[in-house]
Amino acid sequence: MASRKKILLKVIILGDSSVGKTSLMNQYVSRKFTNQYKATIGADFLTKEVTVDDRTVTLQIWDTAGQERFQSLGVAFYRGADCCVLVFDVTAPNTFKSLDSWRDEFLIQASPRDPENFPFVLLGNKVDLEPRAISAKRAQQWCQSKNNIPYFETSAKEGLNVEQAFLAIAKNALAQQNSTIDLYNEFPDQIKLTNTQKPSGSGDSCAC
Amino acid sequence: MADTAIYQQYLQNLKCTVESLLVTQVANVWSIYGGLNRLYLCLEKIFSHGCKNISQDGIYFNFIQGLEWLQPEPSKCYFNVDCEYDPHIPALIKDKASIWLYRSLESHTLSTKLSWLLLDNLHVQSCYEPWAFLCQKEYADATLICLKAVERNQATLLSEINPCLFLKNASTKEFVKSHRRCFSFPDNHLKFCGKSISHLRNMADKNSSSSQDKVVLGKLKPWSSLPDLQIDSAMKVIATKINFISKTTPNTPIHSKKISPSLLKVDYNALQTATFNRNTLRKCIRKTNDCEREVKRIVINNSDIIEHAPISSCKYGTTSSDKESDKSKNFLSHSPLSVVDSFLPTEGEKDYSRHCPKRFIEDGGMSILPMSTGKLARSNAELDRENAHFSISEAIISAMEQLKCNRDLKLVNEELLDDSDPEVMDLKQRIRFRRRQRHVDSKTSQWSSDTISDIKTDTTVSPSSTPSEESPDLSSSEDVDDIEIDQATNSLGDSQGLSMSLASLYSDADIVKKPRGVPDGASDVLSAEGVALTLISKFNEKHLPKASDLDWLVSEEEAPQALLPLPKCWPLDQKTADKSTTLLRGTKDWAPPRPQIVLTIHPTPARKTLMEKQNYRCAGCGMKVAEKYASKYRYCNYLGKYFCTGCHKNQVAYLPARVLYKWDFKEYQVSTFSYKLLEQMYYDPLFRIFDLNKNAKKLCGNLEFVRKYRLGLIYLKEYIFTCRFAETVQERLEPALPSYFLAKPDEYSMDDLVKIKNGEMKNKLKFLVDICCRHTSECKLCIARGYICEVCKDGVIIFPWQMKVVSRCSKCSACYHIKCWTESNECLRCTRINRRKQNANSTDI
Repeated sequence: MASRKKILLKVIILGDSSVGKTSLMNQYVSRKFTNQYKATIGADFLTKEVTVDDRTVTLQIWDTAGQERFQSLGVAFYRGADCCVLVFDVTAPNTFKSLDSWRDEFLIQASPRDPENFPFVLLGNKVDLEPRAISAKRAQQWCQSKNNIPYFETSAKEGLNVEQAFLAIAKNALAQQNSTIDLYNEFPDQIKLTNTQKPSGSGDSCAC
Repeated sequence: MADTAIYQQYLQNLKCTVESLLVTQVANVWSIYGGLNRLYLCLEKIFSHGCKNISQDGIYFNFIQGLEWLQPEPSKCYFNVDCEYDPHIPALIKDKASIWLYRSLESHTLSTKLSWLLLDNLHVQSCYEPWAFLCQKEYADATLICLKAVERNQATLLSEINPCLFLKNASTKEFVKSHRRCFSFPDNHLKFCGKSISHLRNMADKNSSSSQDKVVLGKLKPWSSLPDLQIDSAMKVIATKINFISKTTPNTPIHSKKISPSLLKVDYNALQTATFNRNTLRKCIRKTNDCEREVKRIVINNSDIIEHAPISSCKYGTTSSDKESDKSKNFLSHSPLSVVDSFLPTEGEKDYSRHCPKRFIEDGGMSILPMSTGKLARSNAELDRENAHFSISEAIISAMEQLKCNRDLKLVNEELLDDSDPEVMDLKQRIRFRRRQRHVDSKTSQWSSDTISDIKTDTTVSPSSTPSEESPDLSSSEDVDDIEIDQATNSLGDSQGLSMSLASLYSDADIVKKPRGVPDGASDVLSAEGVALTLISKFNEKHLPKASDLDWLVSEEEAPQALLPLPKCWPLDQKTADKSTTLLRGTKDWAPPRPQIVLTIHPTPARKTLMEKQNYRCAGCGMKVAEKYASKYRYCNYLGKYFCTGCHKNQVAYLPARVLYKWDFKEYQVSTFSYKLLEQMYYDPLFRIFDLNKNAKKLCGNLEFVRKYRLGLIYLKEYIFTCRFAETVQERLEPALPSYFLAKPDEYSMDDLVKIKNGEMKNKLKFLVDICCRHTSECKLCIARGYICEVCKDGVIIFPWQMKVVSRCSKCSACYHIKCWTESNECLRCTRINRRKQNANSTDI
């Protein structure tokens, strides 16, 4: 429907510190990789134009801080995201365990219209490294339990599977955007409705 | 070739570092700031180069672990101890190997240890690649030379390094100058080698005895290279025994230094040492050994200050009194000359310009936090510096005491021989003591503090009945005999000698005198210092001479405290180091002012009572003033004490207390000391005005305004400095304010407060907040990093600096509308985080 209009897809990359979020983004956008670790502060984004289903879309990829101490800034950019990419390190089991909390946090802060069907993509990064701690099977099981999230095993260092993963991400994001536009069209006053509810429900009733 | 370049670079680095350490000729090389660390880093590189079998305890741990069996005396092996962490070691040094290296370096034992390690070729080869630095004999030797140069504090040793090592493309073979690696190689190891080799030979040609001799002699060759030791093999046996002695004492570097002929070709001291030891040995080896220890204990105060310089003369000096005087000369003339030189003010007045002014915080171990809350913590280093004059005076005293003690010992000894009846002897002693006391009492009135007084004291002390004893023409061999008395008489003589001579140092007036009045505020009575003072007055009175009774090398008035250098660490063994440090400043009735932050407003001074409290002494220099001239003294409004006109030049300064509590920006007259202190702390963020003064808000409208804007700017800073689109704003924000200003929200310097008072700060902050806000409201990235109130889920993005409508959780920094959430409620984000943590913990279990 909006084929002529330039489409902007907002993708958020989340995951524990040092799983390779920034590296994946850099590998995908500029095909560069460095072994040096530099913690991301707050958040930053890069853009890349891609063609998905014969349509040119601009991917706006938001890279976030995994380290808790660099999460002192707000995450208003979660709002309006079209796809969320969860990343873990296949050699570090803890990064896999915290995927649930990243997903939760995203859903709460982004508060998408349809949390159940919001598109996530899971990337198991650093497959070039040994020894593996999380098998592909285990990751896939987790994905199935979360409404069949697509799963890719990548290596930002060697560029393995990165392109394919982001293509899938773009596709999912596009599908999501189309559905939300429909929603917008159907219920244009949705936002205002919540606005009016706010003052009465402030403070005590919001314990979640 | 590339390897050679690396070797050269490493050696060059090491040599440069050593040179720069030694060039200043300070007594303790480690007192040069950063010296130890720099040398450590050089050596770390050398040790790590080409190392194989990397252990998890550090790269070269396997190599140094060899000490456990290479060290000739397993019982003296402190390898494991050396690897233990010690709190003074810098934080970056973590693994055992590095700690070992650092500690060995610090204790001046590294060259000995390294030479042991290098001696075993097999061990070296098993731990290092053939191209490793330490596998290159010439370079390893050069490293040893450098280490020894540091340990002995002799820059000249560096010339021993083969210069070819620094040449490119030069064959080092031409100039090979062999350097003995193991200068105090233990004889049992030698014997063992000798025996095993001889054993082999024995098996081969059944010529056991002669071959064994040969081997031992061969190994001992370095000893015979001493010019005066052109001696037969019998002599060599003694040489071996000398070596033995050096081992029986703990293997501190000092000892090995004393005995070894050193790697210098011939060193006069070492020669003397060797001959002396030979003499002694013939008599009795054991006893010398004992007395060595005894002497070491007494002299230790000196070596604290003088450090390396007269170590050999110290040790042997005590055995004969002429050498003793040599030593004191040495002490006065040799090492601390530079020290003395630095005391001397140019024009007879305090000259602060000579040492570049440091800021208050940089100046010492005073942390800001306890100060701003009124408590005070003193680091030892600073106290040491403050008490340098004590250590110096103690050194002088101990030198004098040593002289007297020796003389008295002699006396007691002779008496022991003359009349063996202890009662008679005791009586005699008493009579002499009383006579002397009377003599001293009569003298106290005319006591002056000129340089001669100590000599006078000496003459009074020495008993008139034995005038011949005073002449110091004792031959060294005789003296050795004297010291070979058994422990009991030794201690007896010791105590009596001390009490006798010390009595002369005390005047009755001093003993009766009441302790120094409360020095710096009433809390001092309970302070550590106060307690220490009381203790000393109660129980140590008879054993410590008063600082005021001493002759000063330089009067304190002329020596600003900061200029008194004292090494920060001592390369001595733990026991002696503990004993020697004094943690007291000043005397019983006066102490130098401390660089305190005074936050009390002093009441209007009552000169008479205050001067009485100060014992009519200047608070700055301790100068006493007659009561009628007390009016000439000037009041320091900062410290609340009276100072002499030399220490108080009527300079004026803002007083923190008056500013903080009364918003009073009048400048008050303060002493020079306070002026300097206040000047130093002027730009330091020391004052949490809102904590110190609950009514600070009411003091000045600007203050509250600045507080809010400062906090807002701190929030804004997080966005501005991490935004790649905000470079221009960053450039304006960065230099505009001191670095602490945006790091902590509540600490102010005097400078800030003055600027708040005159409105300058308000305008500046207003401008900065303005440009920052303009950026964040337009910047895509900054907006994206704003917050959305989780409670109302309103789509409007909020920022933490919108303090009128937004409240922020101090733990997780989530932002909410003030009307939706306040700090008293439970933060939603914190709750989630906690819940996840609990889940994670429970699943782990």
